[in-house]
Amino acid sequence: MLRIRRWVRITPAGAVVDGVPVRLEPTEDPLPVALYRPRVGGYPKFFKMDPLCRVGFLASELLLDGETSRFEPREDRAVVLFTQSGSFASDSHYERTIADAADYYPSPAVFVYTLANILTGEIAIRNKYYGETSCYLLDREDVETMVETVRETFLDGATHSVLGGWVDSPDSANFEAELFLVEESEEGAEWAADELRRIMKDK
Amino acid sequence: MNELVSELKNAIIEALNLEDVKPEDIDNDAPLFGDGLGLDSIDALELIVLMEKRYGIKLQDPAAGREIFRSINVMADYIAAHRTK
Repeated sequence: MLRIRRWVRITPAGAVVDGVPVRLEPTEDPLPVALYRPRVGGYPKFFKMDPLCRVGFLASELLLDGETSRFEPREDRAVVLFTQSGSFASDSHYERTIADAADYYPSPAVFVYTLANILTGEIAIRNKYYGETSCYLLDREDVETMVETVRETFLDGATHSVLGGWVDSPDSANFEAELFLVEESEEGAEWAADELRRIMKDK
Repeated sequence: MNELVSELKNAIIEALNLEDVKPEDIDNDAPLFGDGLGLDSIDALELIVLMEKRYGIKLQDPAAGREIFRSINVMADYIAAHRTK
């Protein structure tokens, strides 16, 4: 049986964990930084990430906050994410660094974010996950495809929980992450698909 | 030289997005990689770009960066001796 243990949503309007809004002190910082400082901190790599990775990373941090045995190496948790814009923001940024032949300085730090699957890598590296990691590009937020793909991930026999969901950020001002932690359980529904559908569609 | 050291620190902070680091936090003789600022291999490549873009110094051998990027003072000495702009 599978159950959803926790879910997180982050949009420019704020962050929500299991339906409860995350309270933040007033600050001039943009929301991702305003969330990072009090809720994560101590991980300077955050500031090197592109907008897509920042919002995905933050959502994963809120999702995993308080989990016991965190940061212990494990192979039984998969990271399965879905996005529409993928690395488009970083692609555009990188293009600007090489657009002018007279000012041609390709940025390695920008280039590393021009593959969308670095999103799953940032989360796996941070948490020492050595299991399945996948990042799918969809033409829209297709809940049914996400639900089915997550369900199939468990069929490999090695995966016992999935950190999955939707992450999109066409630019730094527009971002959305809806992540959930699905795990095998002795109790609960036969399959958490209906609950997932409700969470993902209930906006 | 003090002016170059100060300028270099600010340039590194900006180029490497060291958001929570202030110039005064960087020890002029501390290693930039490993225990010092904790920079990684991508940061090393970004420093090579910075050297060329800002000071006109083209490092032909990336391995040379290991010595040049040993500390802020070593880097500043190298820039002062080799800069073309």
